[in-house]
Amino acid sequence: MSAETEANQVQTVGASFRDPSGYVFTSAGVLYRQINQVYQENYDRLIDSGLYQALVSAGMLISHQEVEIAPLDPSSCYKIIQPEPVEFISYPYEWSFSQLKDAALTTLEIQKMALAHGMTLKDSSAYNIQFHHGHPVLIDTLSFEIYQEGQPWVPYRQFCQHFLAPLSLMAYRDIRMSQLLRVYIDGVPLDLTSDLLPRKTRLVLSLNLHIHLHASSQKRYAARPVETTRKVSLFQLQGIIDSLESGVKRLQWSPSGTDWGDYYDEHNYTSAGLEDKKQIVSSFLDQMQPRYVWDLGANTGLFSRLASDRGIPTIAFDIDPGAVELNYLSSRKDNEQYILPLLSDLTNPSPAIGWENQERQSLAERGPVDAIFALALIHHLVISNNVPLNRLASFFQHLGRWLVIEFVPKSDSQVQKLLASRHDIFTDYNFESFEGVFSKYFVIHRCEEIKNSQRKLYLMEKR
Amino acid sequence: MISPLINTFITLIVPLIGTRPYLDPGSGSFILQILIATLVGSLFLIKAYWKKLRTFFKKIFSKGQDGEQE
Repeated sequence: MSAETEANQVQTVGASFRDPSGYVFTSAGVLYRQINQVYQENYDRLIDSGLYQALVSAGMLISHQEVEIAPLDPSSCYKIIQPEPVEFISYPYEWSFSQLKDAALTTLEIQKMALAHGMTLKDSSAYNIQFHHGHPVLIDTLSFEIYQEGQPWVPYRQFCQHFLAPLSLMAYRDIRMSQLLRVYIDGVPLDLTSDLLPRKTRLVLSLNLHIHLHASSQKRYAARPVETTRKVSLFQLQGIIDSLESGVKRLQWSPSGTDWGDYYDEHNYTSAGLEDKKQIVSSFLDQMQPRYVWDLGANTGLFSRLASDRGIPTIAFDIDPGAVELNYLSSRKDNEQYILPLLSDLTNPSPAIGWENQERQSLAERGPVDAIFALALIHHLVISNNVPLNRLASFFQHLGRWLVIEFVPKSDSQVQKLLASRHDIFTDYNFESFEGVFSKYFVIHRCEEIKNSQRKLYLMEKR
Repeated sequence: MISPLINTFITLIVPLIGTRPYLDPGSGSFILQILIATLVGSLFLIKAYWKKLRTFFKKIFSKGQDGEQE
């Protein structure tokens, strides 16, 4: 957030400054979008052509209401709209393979609908897509402009960098390549993608054209002014969109057969133990009644669903791209609206990036939340990552009010595995020290032993 | 001597971008779209006609089957 204005509690949003069509700001905690006069003709066409209604009805564009509030800059303002709020803003480097792929296909579908209404997308940033009620949706209402016959697709390069490049690298090279998006905020450079992709991708027409040939063309014509009589007709433009769509659709990645796949660490329990753990977490939820939950180390979301099935918006974070993928596919299959699986390495959570470090928020900036779940997690952070208990307690205290945390003692086979290859320097890793340290940061309301295991579940509240 | 084709090319030089996009489309990306436009456009048309043809034959086939069932 930045640029506090004279009006009380009004702030422009850090990511909203590139497009002169308008910008996003918050006033008294409510998000608004100012539409500038230069965008008037395009906005009116979006509404009058029926495109806005068609996209909103299809669940592909965030709905909004036109509101009468004082503009920040009356001289440039045409209208102010209040978009439907999105519960949680996530970023492409936090998405699984299928989430990025669905976001790409939604962008292309929107472009096809726009063309059918005489308009076109003027940008195709992956950051303009958010997961809302389980589905990808375009949040930038000002992404459209009136289509002029003969005009190529302006955001073609952006689409390839934001979607096709990372997806092809994830599918053909390594799933962890999605993290390049964290380094390259405007998408993965195509020359780098072309170098990293295996040679066999040159035999795939869509990748050959849109990645390899595209990279060569960029190199050859870099910084040269573009002038030509040649135009791209409507059907040729549709051909480009169709080719991109085919290219995205044929990219596949499956978590099976990877090094991960040990889904459910929880399966250290007997079925009675697992059932008992579910019941304890459920009873904690009854007591907390949270409005929002972050499940840290959620795996494929078994315990996240105890919250999301109650209609509580729940973010299921996990470090494993395979677990996040399986979780997303499951939520998509069952049309679940309240769970959002996301990729996150808690030992190195998403930082604030972009211009002035304000374009994309860090994970902590997107909190705090009502309740944090940290189930079967503590041993990974303390033993595998050497995080002292007090630093861990402080971290959780900053993230949320309530904490549901499972302590996994040294005698547990999972901890034994972690200690197998290293010297045990963790002298204070026991129930007594854990409770002693955490009680400085939290009030411990409840402590329950999980049946048929040596683990305990705690319900704590921030001091 | 300039051939009529090149002559036309030169005299009709216009900027590709009629509007003024805030996004830099990139020269190479713009030129590539023009270069591949005919190929992907033709594939798109073939695909569209193939779909139509398939639907047409499917209809005929299903009508035939309906007729047999009647």
